[in-house]
This record gives sequence, C-alpha cells and structure tokens, in this order.
Amino acid sequence: MANDTLFNDDWLKLQQRYWENLTDMSRKAMGLEAPRQNPWEAAMDQWWKAVSPAASDPSKQFMDRLMEQGKAYFATVERFTRGLTDGGTGWDALNKTFDDMQRAFTEAMSNGFGTNPFAMGSTGAADDAMRRVLGFWEMPLDNWQRMMSSLSPMMPGDMLRNMPHDQVKESFDRMLSAPGLGYTREEQAQYQDLMRRAMDYQRAYQEYMGFFAKLGGKSVERLRELVQSRADEDKPIESARELYDSWVACCETAYADEVSTPEYARIHGHLVNAQMALKKRMSVMVDETLGAMNMPTASEVRTLQDRMQETRRENKHLRRELDSIKRQIAERPATASSAPPATAGEPKKKAAARKKTAAKAGPSA
Amino acid sequence: MFPIEIRPDKLGEEMLDYSRKLGQGMENLINAGEIDTGVTPKDAVYHDDKLTLYRYHRPSEVAQQEVPLLVVYALVNRPYMTDIQENRSTIKGLLGTGQDVYLIDWGYPDQADRALTLDDYINGYLDGCVDYICEKHGLGKINILGICQGGTFSLMYTALHPDKVHNLVTMVTPVDFKTPDNLLSNWVQNIDVDLAVDTMGNVPGELLNWTFLSLKPFSLTGQKYVNMVDLLDDPDKVKNFLRMEKWIFDSPDQAGETFRQFIKDYYQNNAFMEGTARVGDQPVDLKQITCPVLNIYAQQDHLVPPASSKAMNGMTGSEDYTELAFPGGHIGIYVSGKAQKEVTPAIGNWLNERS
Repeated sequence: MANDTLFNDDWLKLQQRYWENLTDMSRKAMGLEAPRQNPWEAAMDQWWKAVSPAASDPSKQFMDRLMEQGKAYFATVERFTRGLTDGGTGWDALNKTFDDMQRAFTEAMSNGFGTNPFAMGSTGAADDAMRRVLGFWEMPLDNWQRMMSSLSPMMPGDMLRNMPHDQVKESFDRMLSAPGLGYTREEQAQYQDLMRRAMDYQRAYQEYMGFFAKLGGKSVERLRELVQSRADEDKPIESARELYDSWVACCETAYADEVSTPEYARIHGHLVNAQMALKKRMSVMVDETLGAMNMPTASEVRTLQDRMQETRRENKHLRRELDSIKRQIAERPATASSAPPATAGEPKKKAAARKKTAAKAGPSA
Repeated sequence: MFPIEIRPDKLGEEMLDYSRKLGQGMENLINAGEIDTGVTPKDAVYHDDKLTLYRYHRPSEVAQQEVPLLVVYALVNRPYMTDIQENRSTIKGLLGTGQDVYLIDWGYPDQADRALTLDDYINGYLDGCVDYICEKHGLGKINILGICQGGTFSLMYTALHPDKVHNLVTMVTPVDFKTPDNLLSNWVQNIDVDLAVDTMGNVPGELLNWTFLSLKPFSLTGQKYVNMVDLLDDPDKVKNFLRMEKWIFDSPDQAGETFRQFIKDYYQNNAFMEGTARVGDQPVDLKQITCPVLNIYAQQDHLVPPASSKAMNGMTGSEDYTELAFPGGHIGIYVSGKAQKEVTPAIGNWLNERS
C-alpha cells in the first residue's frame, strides 16, 4: 500500500462503504427500494397488494415465494425470447444472450466481491431480466444469509458480508497485530481477536460467493450446450416452462459436479468454521459482560448442564442395576427358611417403578 | 433448426395461465387452515424426558401379529413423515399387515438437553422404550424398524442388545458414511465440529435445513414453487403440499453432544466401516447382530446414497440378511404411491414370515 499509516484513505473508504452498505440495508428494510419491473411483474405486484391483506401470515409468506419464483421464471424466459424479437437473426440473438449472461457472471467475479455479485443492481451491464436470472443464482447464498440471521441476532442479514476486505487487509492486519497496553490490555486483545475473526469470516464468505459466480458461468455453458443439442436433434424448446426447467437442470447439474469436489468442501468448511469462530468470540465477550453484572453466563450454565446430565445418567444406571438385583432376587428359588416373605411373591416382570408413568391420553391423531 | 421456438402468443398464454392459477390458488391457500400432521389414531403410552412413545390403533379386521414393531425415527426432522396423510402412510400400511406399531417421537431438544450423548439416546431412551414394550407384551424381544439416522441407531442398539431384537428392519440407513457420492459427507469433512458444538451448544434446526436445501438449491428453493402453482387449484393438493412443506422446515435442534459424536464418529471417521464405533464405553460390533435383517434403500436417494446402505451386507452376523431396492428417493420411500404398494407390504410380509 502506498500509504502505510493506519488511518489512511483506504480506512476512510472502508468506513464510507461500510456505512453505504448499512444505509442500503436500512433502505431495503424500510421497503424504500423501488425495483424496475416489466409490466407483467408490475401487474402481479399490483394484484398482490390488493389481495394480500386477506391472507394469513403463513399464506402470505408462501405466496411471496410463489410470486418471487414466478418472476425469476418469466425473467429467464423473457431474457431469451426478447432478443429473438429485437430484429437480429435468431442465432445471433441467442448467442448474444449467452454472452451477456456469461459476461455478467464474469463481471460479478472481477468486481472483487466487494458486494454480492448476484444482488439486484450490482451488475452494471445487466438489465432487469438479467438481474432476475442472476438473482436465481443468489438462492444458495440467500439461504445461508437467512440461516445466519436466525443464528446471529447480533448480526442481522449477515451484515459483515459486504464489508470490503482485500483493499484494507494489510492495514487491518497491522493494526490488529499491535499489542494491547495498560490496564485494559486483555480487553483490547479480545477486540483485536474479534476483528481478526470477523475479517476471516468475510474472506470465507467472499470466497464462497466467488465459487458461486464461477458456477454460474459453468451453468450458462451447460445451457448453451443443451440448446445446441436441441438444435442438432431438431427438438426445439417450445414453452416457457420447458426453457425454465432446462435452466434449472443445467444449474443443478453444474452445482452437483462442483460441490462434490474437495475444493468446495474446503470453502464450505472455511465458511462454517469462520462463522463459528466469530460467534464464539462474541459469546465469550457477552459472557464476560454478564459475569461482571453477576449474572449467569452461558459457560456456567453449560457446566451445570454437563454435571446434571452426568448425575442423571449415573442415577438411571443405578436404578437399572437396582431393578436387575431385585429381579434376580425375585427369580431365586424360594427357600422356606431364608427367603423373606416380602420378595417371594414379587412378579417376575421388571419393577414398574423403573418406568415413568404411561400416559393415559386418549387417541391423539 | 432453431432450438427455441416459443411463440409470443404462447408465452403470453403461459404467463396468463400462471397468473390465473396464482389468483385462484390464493383462495385455496387462505382456506387451507391449520396443517395437520399424523393421521392414524394413536395413544401416547410412555414418556421419558421429552421422548414420547406412541402406540397406533390397530384395525380390527386384520389378524394381529404377536411381536410388536417399534419404529425408530431419526433425530433430524419429525416422525410424522411416516404418517403424513391418509393415502400416504407407512404406519397405516404396516398396521394393514397386522403389525402392532409403536413409534418413538424424540421431541424437540432444548439447551437443557445439550449434554445428551449417543449413550443416553441408545442405552437410555431407546432401551427404555424397548423394555417398556417387552414388559407390556410379556415378551423378551421385539421387532425394530429404524429409519435413516434411526436405522443407524437401531444397528447400534441391536449390536449392543441382541437379545432384545427379534427382527431388524432398516430403511435408507447410512452404514458407510464415506461413499464418493455422499455430498453431506464431503461437506462435513472440513468442518470443525468441536468448534461448532462448543459455540452453539445445540445445533439449530435452521442449520440442518440450510444443509439439506443446499443439496439441490435450485430445485428445492426455486423450481418447486413454480411447479406448485400447477397444483394450486386443487385444495387437497395444496394441503398435501403445505403438509410436506411444514415437515421440511419442522427441524428440531440437535442435542449438541450427540451431534458432535455422530458427525465425528460416523461422517468424519466412518466408525462402522473402520470398526471404531462406540456407544458410551461399549464398543459396537455389528457382528453381534444375529437376528434376521431387512435392509431397504432408495435407488435415487440423494441424502443416503444406495452404496452407503448396501455396505451393511456382510457386516452383520446375521445369516438371514435381505436387501430391498426401492426405485425412488429418500422421501418417496415413505410418501410415494409406489412405496405404499411396494415397501410397506414387503416389510409386513417379511416380518410375518419371521414371526
């Protein structure tokens, strides 16, 4: 880096981009973003706004999914059919569509993944339909974000994912390697570790996104091959659904090939491990705060859980041994002189006391 | 020939049709009401912590078998998959063959259950259910049907308690966890399971959902909903779809210590194949399984590849080992129409022949 001070231009750019991302998140959360739409989408949205108040929450969520996937479905078809009616020859238009898709994925990769390569609006050259088509590829990433949001209430929407990384890595590494000083030395070290883990998670997530961008390009290639084979076989694709299903099949096949590799296992493992390492550090810091307030910490509760389970396990084991001994005594041939009357008549079956009560509930189906 | 011949009028028609179905389907979705799960009448007969053991009502017109059948489902997802709707019920099919069916519902573990181990599940909860049923029927041993991870548990249990199992049936049960086509196995090889469990305590169901959806993300989170629109005008099909949707996302958290052991021992270290399986301080030797074994696998299973299940052949000590291949997937083996006709009658007949 040209500027080797810690708080240089890169740092300021980082701050700026970080706040832009946060602002972007807020805008989205408030529904202020107005996506550009084709007329079919606009009509669907209009209809949905009119009827959705009558639907229950689960129905609404479900319909939202149907609407969203319907848009992706027709955007895919629109992208392929529009070129054919734009005046060019069919093959030219088709090849241009494939090239545009391929270029969009390549651009997404070359952007350095400072932002999600598939996110709406991040692919400069792409039009609305193209964004929808690429957005389709966001689904695996979207699943990860949703899952992480549910696990990390302190990091809604997986907020670290869009922080730029490569540009400021060196400065950050230097800053984070500076030893803590003074009375709060340990606390400083913890925050440094937290930042290191956050950066590692970012790196892992960006690598994960990069993997998907590469996969997208491979899926386009597969679709190109499939379309060519349909031409060779004189079996044209004749419906929107068939085209959409072909695109899904190509994506799924390319995906299945790539995610079975050791390379993906490494990327996937890094992503999960980095997220867990970050979450663990946060958890330790929360524990320290709780401890300072004389409140029970997660660590303490877990120790108690372990001890309690160990005790219960031993208790159950002893109870079984006791039952076994009782059974053995009960099964011994009674000798008139030595057998105590109380045990001689005990049934051979296991003592019912060992079991908890059988429910008396009626039919529950 | 040009490969795409979608006429504008036909495209318009498809879009109109999609919109129309969506519009009509809205009514059916609103009217769908609560999604019920589990259709066959049953009684809760035994509890142990969060575990509930159910016994299903037997049809009076069918001759009953003396030896009851205990269904051991996986800890992952919910056991009502085996009885999801009236015409798609493994349980109902088994009752129809005269089996006296019990089923373990493991419940929803919370953080208080984090320290439960495989030993607690196998030698504690499962053994408790078997003892209860044996005592109730005055028998020394019963039949067990293990499903998926529940099948793996059943193998461990039968190896450790061979005197309590009359016949063992396993469905879509992983034995070799490192077959080359096992995506789940590939994905967990580089995961630091200790770190994950130490961090989260219990492993959230959301994480498992994400993992399973990631097996076929474009089909399972995209295409499925586009296809669904075609069903929207049929209230029964809507209800069935929503029932399945509920099951898919109804994922209990996993008790942390059990998850740690299961993933490390089996997915990462392939304990059955390597001969290193242990439950608590007891080694698990599959050769101790000497009862008849019926091993059913699904030929298009993307979760438990057929080779993973078929690895059981020759690993047990049973001289009566049977394999049954089902031409379908991991879920279809319980809920498809073909499974109702082929799988459950086959299980029933196999058990009845050995009663």
